[in-house]
Amino acid sequence: MENELFMNAGVSQPPVMMTSPSSSSAMLNWVSSSTQPVDPSLSRNLSRDCLFWEKSTEQSIFDSALSSLVSSPNSNFSGGGVAHGDNFIIRELIGKLGNIGEIYGAPASNGNVSSASCYATPMSCSPPPPRHMMVTKPPTPLAEFSGDTGFAERAARFSCFGSRSFNGRTNPPFPINNNNVPVVANEKMPRVSSTPALKPLAGESSGEISRKRKTKSKQNSPSTASPSKEVEEKEDSNPKRSKKTEANEDKTKSVDDDPYKDYIHVRARRGQATDSHSLAERVRREKISERMKLLQDLVPGCNKVTGKALMLDEIINYVQSLQRQVEFLSMKLSSVNTRLDFNMDAFMSKDIFPSSNNLMHQQVLQLDSSAETLLSDHHHNTNLQLNPKISSNNYIMTPLEPSETRSFVSHLPTLAHFTDSISQYSTFSEDDLHSIIHMGFAQNRIHELNQGPSNQVPSNMKAEL
Amino acid sequence: MASSTTHSLNINTPRKNLFAVHFLRSLSKLKRQKSFIGPKKTTERVRKIKTAAYISMARAAGGTSQTWSRAILWRLHRRAQASKIGGYYTKPKKRSSGADVTRGRIWRRRSRRYETTDADRLRTVVPGGGDMETLKLMVETAHYIKCLSMQVNVMQSIVDVLSA
Repeated sequence: MENELFMNAGVSQPPVMMTSPSSSSAMLNWVSSSTQPVDPSLSRNLSRDCLFWEKSTEQSIFDSALSSLVSSPNSNFSGGGVAHGDNFIIRELIGKLGNIGEIYGAPASNGNVSSASCYATPMSCSPPPPRHMMVTKPPTPLAEFSGDTGFAERAARFSCFGSRSFNGRTNPPFPINNNNVPVVANEKMPRVSSTPALKPLAGESSGEISRKRKTKSKQNSPSTASPSKEVEEKEDSNPKRSKKTEANEDKTKSVDDDPYKDYIHVRARRGQATDSHSLAERVRREKISERMKLLQDLVPGCNKVTGKALMLDEIINYVQSLQRQVEFLSMKLSSVNTRLDFNMDAFMSKDIFPSSNNLMHQQVLQLDSSAETLLSDHHHNTNLQLNPKISSNNYIMTPLEPSETRSFVSHLPTLAHFTDSISQYSTFSEDDLHSIIHMGFAQNRIHELNQGPSNQVPSNMKAEL
Repeated sequence: MASSTTHSLNINTPRKNLFAVHFLRSLSKLKRQKSFIGPKKTTERVRKIKTAAYISMARAAGGTSQTWSRAILWRLHRRAQASKIGGYYTKPKKRSSGADVTRGRIWRRRSRRYETTDADRLRTVVPGGGDMETLKLMVETAHYIKCLSMQVNVMQSIVDVLSA
């Protein structure tokens, strides 16, 4: 994610990048991109550190330093601007950023630095000196850095970032620790830790990536804190939530216009462990409240009730009442059944179906008769053949597992019959009346073939189709 | 988010026709059973009809696509197995585990005791809800309510037709 940003940033041309305040990071991007093929870890470190620098409050210092490194046409140029010295410093910086041991020990490091310096040359306009000077690199970069306290500070910051904020994802970039560095590091630590921008960046990358949408946009967007948006969100959210948003308001960045402002609203930026927890909780609570609203719409007469507990009571009561109704109606049905003769065709013709689909009625009628004839003799095996048909239909009926159908069939053979007929029913729905006439013929055949093995019967039905 | 959840609910709108067809078939089948006809064993009959209604509802709702429908059909399956094997009938007891699963999740502001009662009551009501997360459970409950209401309507109309 971070690398993506920097690759994108690196696409633009360096001189353009230099002008903007984010040029510092952009320069590093470009450096990192150049070094990527050689030393991925180094570039990674660079990219991560660039992340920081882009957001850090002490960007100006770094800007000045970087501008001193690269002789840009603009007048950001404050420090010592000797071309070869710039490349030297660049190399030192790169050395500080990554694993110093790697850079200095490995032979690829030279290539690394040379590539960096080669890229630096367009800015410095002096190709030969860096290559020459690269060879004479001192083993301890800190000696040179001691002359430049600013660099030492930034190096210390790097170390702080690397060790702390990234949760050890980067190697501790300073295996060689001079006396200066730890002291400076300690000084810088509170400042580093205080900048909350650091933590969310790490937090984002490690934590709630899946939850956050448009994290790219968040990072790409300049730190334009729109208090109005946050205020709106605060008003919308619960009082509990608003407290946290107030706490984060100054430090967090606002998101672009996003329908899911709520939980993208960067509470996770505050810290990792605690906030991922509470953020997850918050997200869950929101989800649950939304679903409670949905249920509220389903359950009649629930608009006045507010609160989860009461709502839940209402829902449970409603479900229980519905189940009791079903039981009562089944009792009624049983009593009615004994009295009257059960005529299925009569039912189908009545207004049971809300949609006036005559075609369906006819089909169902024919199927009813066929199903009744089939009910007399039935074998289990046939149903399995028809299961794939079920899946093809346009109805919601999903194919049951074969084991299930077998078991169902063994216990309630006729239910499988129903699936059998239903599948045919579904296929009929796609045909025109012509097929229904065929079905009529098929029924006659079924009557004839009633005595025969039922295996043949569905196959005949299929043949008719 | 509301649109997404409603969309997820609307995918399986229970079809009255399907349910009616299923149910009527099962009823006709039940009618043909010899033990069915007769004044005795009313409760048995009622139970069978009720089971048939639920099964047909489960099928109409989309077979195994919903957890509760799956639970209903699975219950039938197990009963069939039990009757086959003879005596070995194990009812799936998942409610306790479901409570444990979601205990630490949501509704933290309530006390521990309340936490168990809030979602667990839903679980006791909705079939197959013993092992589900609360969010899924709510979606299942919504679908179940839809199907139940449809079932009630269909059964009511059937009764009206029969009695009229």
